[in-house]
Amino acid sequence: MLRYMLKRFAQSILTVALVVLAVFMLLRLMPTSGYFSREDYVTMDEAARTAYLRTLGVLDDPFTQFGRFASALAGGDLGRSITVYPRTPITEILAEKIPYSLWFGVAGISVSMALGLLLGVMMARYKDGPTDWLGTAYVVVVRAVPSLIYLFLIQTAASRLLGLPMIFYADDVSSWILPAASMALPGLAWYAIWLRRFMVDEENKDYIKFAVAKGVPRGKVMTGHVLRNAIVPLVQYFPTQVLLTITGSLIIESIYSIPGMGGLLVYAIRQHDNTLVQALVLIYSALVVAGVFLGDVLMALVDPRIKLSSAPVEREAA
Amino acid sequence: MKRATLVAATLAMVGLTAMAGCGAARKSADRYATTYFTEAKTLNYFLLLDSTAQRVAANTQDGLVENDRFGRYVPSLAESWTHNDDYTVWTFTLRQGAAWVDSAGQRTAWEVTADDFVEGLRYVADPANGIKNVSTIRKVIAGLNGYYYDLLDIDEGKDIGMTREAAEENFRTVGVAAPDPRTVVYTLTKPTPYFLSYLVTELFFPLERAFLDQVGAQDFGTSRERLIYSGAYYLADWQRDKQIVMEKNPLYWDAASVPVKTVSMQKVTDPAVSVEMFIRGELSATGLQADQVKALAGTPQAEFVYPAEISSVTYWFIQNFSSDNPEFRAFVNNPDFRKALYYGIDRVKLLSLYDPYNPAGLLRNTVVPEETVVDENGRDYTDYPGLAELKAAGDYFDTDKARSYFAKAVAALTDGAGAIKGVSPATVDMKPVAEFAVDGKLPLQMLYVHSNDANDTKMALLLQAMLEEVFQGQVKLVLGQYVDDKFNDVVEPRRFDLVYDSFRFGFGDPSAQLSRLVTDGGINDGRYSDPEFDALIQEAEGENLLSERYALFSRAERLFIDRVYVIPFQVGGGAYTMSKAVPFTYPRGGFGTTRFKYKGMIVEREPVTKARYEKLKAEFLSEMESATKR
Repeated sequence: MLRYMLKRFAQSILTVALVVLAVFMLLRLMPTSGYFSREDYVTMDEAARTAYLRTLGVLDDPFTQFGRFASALAGGDLGRSITVYPRTPITEILAEKIPYSLWFGVAGISVSMALGLLLGVMMARYKDGPTDWLGTAYVVVVRAVPSLIYLFLIQTAASRLLGLPMIFYADDVSSWILPAASMALPGLAWYAIWLRRFMVDEENKDYIKFAVAKGVPRGKVMTGHVLRNAIVPLVQYFPTQVLLTITGSLIIESIYSIPGMGGLLVYAIRQHDNTLVQALVLIYSALVVAGVFLGDVLMALVDPRIKLSSAPVEREAA
Repeated sequence: MKRATLVAATLAMVGLTAMAGCGAARKSADRYATTYFTEAKTLNYFLLLDSTAQRVAANTQDGLVENDRFGRYVPSLAESWTHNDDYTVWTFTLRQGAAWVDSAGQRTAWEVTADDFVEGLRYVADPANGIKNVSTIRKVIAGLNGYYYDLLDIDEGKDIGMTREAAEENFRTVGVAAPDPRTVVYTLTKPTPYFLSYLVTELFFPLERAFLDQVGAQDFGTSRERLIYSGAYYLADWQRDKQIVMEKNPLYWDAASVPVKTVSMQKVTDPAVSVEMFIRGELSATGLQADQVKALAGTPQAEFVYPAEISSVTYWFIQNFSSDNPEFRAFVNNPDFRKALYYGIDRVKLLSLYDPYNPAGLLRNTVVPEETVVDENGRDYTDYPGLAELKAAGDYFDTDKARSYFAKAVAALTDGAGAIKGVSPATVDMKPVAEFAVDGKLPLQMLYVHSNDANDTKMALLLQAMLEEVFQGQVKLVLGQYVDDKFNDVVEPRRFDLVYDSFRFGFGDPSAQLSRLVTDGGINDGRYSDPEFDALIQEAEGENLLSERYALFSRAERLFIDRVYVIPFQVGGGAYTMSKAVPFTYPRGGFGTTRFKYKGMIVEREPVTKARYEKLKAEFLSEMESATKR
């Protein structure tokens, strides 16, 4: 196990480094005129434009720039934003924004996991009954209707109906309810439908039929065997989902004016903010890699049949 | 020394005091709440990159002069000023006791002194600080251009025979000086009777050097604590992408003229949310797009909707006089064809995409905007002969005239059988925008380039159908598209026949636009050449008496439009608003930063109705006429 973990860790570091290098170099291929508005472009002469680009640090050789980035990173310095929040240390921006995304993300995941798993169990337990139909209808609506439609409906109609604020205010707890609920809706559907599917699959397996035939109570079969085995494929994604809450939700943070991380990467790319993009890519890719790794470990812990090491399994003598 | 200026300044002060009295007498709500859509990228007020940062800077920093509610230049941190006879030396006397306050509204160790204005310009003039707008004034202040390029050359590694430190020492040769703590003197490169109009921009704001040294150049303005304030408000809260709260500066020199104590701005991304928040009473003001106005029709809120202020930005169509498309190149150099386009584009129909209720309200027929440049007699520049008729013409779309001019162009440019003289079949390579074949015969094919914005695309399709109909199938518009922020890369390198563009109006003189439109001008995108127009502009630039100067500029502009080098069609801004702020109680202007001040604004408990707005507007225009004449 330890050997496996060390190997995966080394692979992870390499993967993240390659991703960051690739993005870093690709960013340097973008045309520099993107740093100027139309007005700036015509007002400034070539020399002035060059001087401005030099202040942004985007004119040096890309490998020199990467070396500078890597050595600063080694000292824990992610650099400063150049166009999104000019000259502001990136660590300062992240420190402001991550807590919002993390809080709402964790709240959303907690609600969606708790209610989604419960709904999935109920749908599987009462398959083809009203609970299953209603659950399926909910899942179909959430997954088929463009999210902007129902999210905007919640924001306007539900906020009016319940007397809740339309946007998020840090000092007003009531304003946290709708964004957290909106955050939970798609995840809830995802957990419910997949758990139902895996549980129904398990229920049809021979060992379950055997257990039922032997007279094991249905409740015990569902929780002790069906649920336990059905949840294994889902467990793998938990760490990634939790870790990626840091990246925020583009749509929900946007409509509720939550100053989180959602949309920051897209905006940074559009604004040609190389330093911010590479910092975010570094963080996001590290989170994904860590999430996948932790997912594997978690799956091995939940399911004793899964071995992460390639050590030979000792067979019991017949 | 010009006594007239002193008198004007005194009168303006009297007016301001009277207005302040008015403001104090009228009861205002303490709080003004609104929304914004684009985050302030930085609080460094020399580095203004967006309208939100401009608004924050305008309200938290003062300059030497500011706009009043009529758009006039009135004293701010300078209590008076004089200039020499040829307008090349301007001397400002600062008011005493103006303090810098911190982000808690507390007095700092510093007062605003003349040195702060010198340091402000020093900061702006250093290319290492990356102030893009410095290009606007580099050639206005004596010595600034040379100083800037010396530093720039050194930063580029060129050997100019001195170190950077030595070059920085040369700032003393730049035309700004503080002979004593209350006097700032600017020396200019040439007579500049409109110099005050530069002073309402952020480029002339003061900078406390000791504070800059304390926080460091890199960190200056990256948070509200890393800034000090000289304006009517200080920044009490700034959460990026969330909210901006400005509180009234208790030490402000003109506190009596600031009725609103708190300005709260919430960031939203959807204009519909802003409107809904206003309806629920959470906001004091909101903007509306035309479709939102339509949605409110028949509701109680409909009576509160009135037109928002238009801006000084003018959108105009540009034709490429050296196009790679031989068919268009032959036609565009024919004045009759350009006239045909001038009369053949139904601009009102195009503008109905932006405002279906009152598209004609978005029309502009001149390059220089109205109500932005006024002479010494209070006469608006666009009311000068030549331009006044253009302005009054409104919607001049005329199919018959368009066809008549087109027929003349066709007669001159084709052989009578539809073949365009001197044009052979060819492939026009304007990749990545477009590539298309032309056969050298009518119908004329021309490339119209537009952005991928939904309204721009609709406008292109509408224009395509419109020109085909007006010119009875003899003009075919080929459409090419670019991604919205890639104009500089894709279109500017001559890859268009027809396109539209717009530029900021930078300062209070027609030269702000017209001098950039001459043959070698920076915004001559069409690459036309007209020595007569160039000569008129040069003559106008040399005239210092404003009325004479504007007469010459207006002649030049009329000639420019008559020869259809560009086709102005749309004003910037527009749209609609609902507000509890009483219109015309706060500053206005066509350019610069100080026009965004909330100083003087009266906020009421109920929204202003459209009927009341119309009444207030009529009163205001009448007041403005007498005020600017005075």
